Amino acid sequence: MTSADDSGTADPVGSTESVVDTSSGLSDRATTRSDTIVEAKGVDVFYGEDQALQDISMEIPEKQVTAMIGPSGCGKSTFLRCINRMNDQIDVCRVDGEIEFRGKNIYDDDVDPVVLRRRIGMVFQQPNPFPKSIYDNVAYGLKIQGKTEDMDQKVENALKGAALWDEVKDKLHTSGLDLSGGQQQRLCIARAIAVDPQVILMDEPASALDPIATAQIEDLIEELSRDFTVVIVTHNMQQAARISDKTAVFLTGGELVEFDDTNRIFENPQSQRVEDYITGKFG
Amino acid sequence: MPRNEYQTKLEDLRGDVLYMSEVVAERLRMGLDALAQKDAQLAEEVITGDGEINEMYLELEKDCINLIALQQPVAGDLRFIAASFKIITDLERIADLATNLGQYAKNAQRDVFPDVDIQRLGDVTLEMLDRAMTAYSGDRPQMCYEVAEKDDELDELCEIASEIVVRDLIEGERSNNDEDIPILMKDVSRLLLTIRDLERVGDHAVNIAARTLYMIENNDELIY
Repeated sequence: MTSADDSGTADPVGSTESVVDTSSGLSDRATTRSDTIVEAKGVDVFYGEDQALQDISMEIPEKQVTAMIGPSGCGKSTFLRCINRMNDQIDVCRVDGEIEFRGKNIYDDDVDPVVLRRRIGMVFQQPNPFPKSIYDNVAYGLKIQGKTEDMDQKVENALKGAALWDEVKDKLHTSGLDLSGGQQQRLCIARAIAVDPQVILMDEPASALDPIATAQIEDLIEELSRDFTVVIVTHNMQQAARISDKTAVFLTGGELVEFDDTNRIFENPQSQRVEDYITGKFG
Repeated sequence: MPRNEYQTKLEDLRGDVLYMSEVVAERLRMGLDALAQKDAQLAEEVITGDGEINEMYLELEKDCINLIALQQPVAGDLRFIAASFKIITDLERIADLATNLGQYAKNAQRDVFPDVDIQRLGDVTLEMLDRAMTAYSGDRPQMCYEVAEKDDELDELCEIASEIVVRDLIEGERSNNDEDIPILMKDVSRLLLTIRDLERVGDHAVNIAARTLYMIENNDELIY
């Protein structure tokens, strides 16, 4: 069992870096698309006495898009936050079971959540750029890590990776808050990929955006999956169908009912409960 | 149950496809009767009635497209709509073949090869169509396989019928009168086309069964 209080370690970087960071360089990454990068094994999550997730086991494949769908309160965002230990910040939250990142249990005592979150980044529902310039937003994580060499190039690469460069290259030093909602979200994605993560978690990244901005984010997610593993929580089942390779269906009670190739989930789900949910026969 | 209107539209589509199949089967029966009875008026009814089937087809095609575009169906609903979309095409083609029978009936003046039992072939095709649509109507996968098996029987019957014609031409005692030959050739051609068209009706019935099996069980075993 690992609780939120266990996150502090005597060796905050050492062994964590050595395990979690073994393949920090892109060239060190496994190239087979079907390799598992994150594996949950019997994960239970409790908020105080309430159980939010029950015995979740799943293997998230590398460099693919995995979508998590399900009704409100089914635990899909809770599970997403478990993957980079965001739930550590909630005092009453307790996580049982294991979540392995490249074979290392991220809830082991020797794992530093800060280092972990460099490897497993997060993009939230509401775009949340810092009240800084576009440039500084992207450079922020790199500066914290002391990776200031070739900063201009790194910022440009991240903005290009987030399909934002062409729109902002002439105003890099204006405030990130002056961008449109869709641009702000892509700026947040640029900020996330600037520190060279291996997994990007996205919690409803397009739900606050208009259809055009949503389409841009969806295109971007497909692009990102060439270099990164993307795990996305979405309420929009059609979005999951459009952009994901794998889909996990969580249903009420915090249960992972089905996890399979997306085309199989949407053409021929094995579970009647999943069929009823995705066809709208129950809400 | 949420999405009541959507569920009603799905049921409406199923009912409309079944109604179309009943009209198509009736036209096929009429075409066969027109052939048997040399009834030019009945034949004309089949031919002129094809426009109604075409309109029905276009209407149902539009319904399927609207359901896909507006309701974003998935899983069993998606398979049902996709199968229906394909099935109405097969039904429309069967109606075209029934129209062909009407054309043949209008031109047929005599039974040149009485040993060829066109009505039996027709009965088999009607039975296959009926079974395929019963499977579609009531989610009965076993019936889909039965339709496919029946098609083997139909193919064999059609082959035997064609052989009778060819054998009779080779071995039979026919008039050597040159004036009779063009008429005989037309009769032979019409009869062989009739056999071929009924064999094709059977193929369309198998297509319907195959799509129905996919619809019920996500099983594409019969689709080829």
